Amino acid sequence: MALTQLSTRMQTGTRNSAPASDETRIRIRDVTLSYGNLQIIGGISLDVAAGETVCIIGPSGCGKTTLLRMLAGLAKPTSGSVELDGSMIAGPNRSVAIVFQDYGKALLPWRTAAGNVSLALEARGFPSAERPAIIRDLLEKIGLGRHADKYPAEMSGGMQQRLQIARCLAQEPKVLLMDEPFGALDAMTRQVLQDEVLGLVASTGATMVFVTHDLEEAIYLGDRIVCLQPNPGRVGRIVDVSLSRPRDQLLTREDPEFLRLRRELYDLIKDDHQ
Amino acid sequence: MRHLSLRKLLLGIGGLVLFILVWKLVTDAKLVSPIFFPGPERTYAALVKGLSGGALLQQTLQTIQRMLLGWLLASFVGILLGALVGISKRARAFIAPMLELLRPLPASAMIPVAIAFLGFSDHMVLVVIAFGALWPMLLATIHGFAAMEPRLYEVSQVLGLSRLEVIWKLALPSAMPMILASLRLGLTISLILAVVGEMLASREGLGQSILAASRSFRSPDLFAGIVILGAIGLVGSRLLSIAERRLLRWQATSR
Repeated sequence: MALTQLSTRMQTGTRNSAPASDETRIRIRDVTLSYGNLQIIGGISLDVAAGETVCIIGPSGCGKTTLLRMLAGLAKPTSGSVELDGSMIAGPNRSVAIVFQDYGKALLPWRTAAGNVSLALEARGFPSAERPAIIRDLLEKIGLGRHADKYPAEMSGGMQQRLQIARCLAQEPKVLLMDEPFGALDAMTRQVLQDEVLGLVASTGATMVFVTHDLEEAIYLGDRIVCLQPNPGRVGRIVDVSLSRPRDQLLTREDPEFLRLRRELYDLIKDDHQ
Repeated sequence: MRHLSLRKLLLGIGGLVLFILVWKLVTDAKLVSPIFFPGPERTYAALVKGLSGGALLQQTLQTIQRMLLGWLLASFVGILLGALVGISKRARAFIAPMLELLRPLPASAMIPVAIAFLGFSDHMVLVVIAFGALWPMLLATIHGFAAMEPRLYEVSQVLGLSRLEVIWKLALPSAMPMILASLRLGLTISLILAVVGEMLASREGLGQSILAASRSFRSPDLFAGIVILGAIGLVGSRLLSIAERRLLRWQATSR
């Protein structure tokens, strides 16, 4: 496991834009987390480079979400350290945005799509005169341009999740955390959103940590895949994804390398489920 | 949609007409002595006379003013206090048992206390109204704040919203459905206490006028007062319903 701490990450896949630099954005060192006697996370170390997309998979109870919450500053490690650009993450921070799975609870039902995005700008102290233009751009970018005046209750699940992503982008975060964001969406919507997120990450150069229980999603999106093992949560394996970018829903998924990775990860995860 | 509401309106009017008809039948049959129980025509005549030339209009305005002032005072204090208590878990734990003790006290039991402090004055009546109508708003605000979706609180932390922004932009709107329902309840309580206060402290208003009419066996005047009180309650509640529907537009669309 100590091997994984080495940031000698070989990047075989070439990015179209915003190439991952060698700069380390997130540094997780020997992190544990316990509630009373129950240890949730038992010593995780992981580096994430700037501009990199790391997907985290693993069976339920392996602490995927907890790890993500620690990165967001919403949970504190019992021991060990979590650093962003060399300084400790002490609490929630605007430069780390998180997209929750339950978009229905994370959006403000009494605000329209535009109003929900506006909240992030208000928090950043943008003068009200400057907000509408930024909001329009963001909604346009995420495909909600025509729905600015709709309330969340009037939108489909996919649109609501788009809106949550737009609000996160309004934070202009360095790191985008995704907690099984597409788990509740239908397969087609999920694929469309996967491509949109890849496009956004490529164009903004953001670093992304993406938690999912879907192996194929992890392979499709990630530069690296971290497989966690449960009881307590720890890093089982880290797999490099050498698929070329930009990725394509048909071509990438038919790539022999994709299929090989899927088999490798499947075997890994299967062992934990027994 | 429009069709449905028209039918509802017609049904409502039909019910009212039926009620007046039964009222007329009962009084025409003299089941109760007309000295105590006037028919709809005599009540209507008293109403017209009182409102056109008599003191009834002035008294009605007095009562409405008293009710509104007390209600506004109660709403303001209730929501403000509720927000302060509701936003903090510790404050809620500290205050809640005290509120549970005070809340069941009938507001009318506070009247002698208020009289002792403020005498038979308009201020006294106002304080009694505000005290009685305070509880629904206070409790609804506290509960509404406590029931705020925890996920939204996390969102506010990640976005870096200030405590004041959390109250104003998240907690208050999410408690709004509960608060609006309590405002309606509070208005009803305000009307009741305005009338009781006027009766006990003999301040000018419908309460006093009803009591005087009853004591001098002017039953049509008595019933005219009651009809006006009913109308005030109805109109107030209707206006608040309209406000509610506009403010909670985001909620109506989800159904």
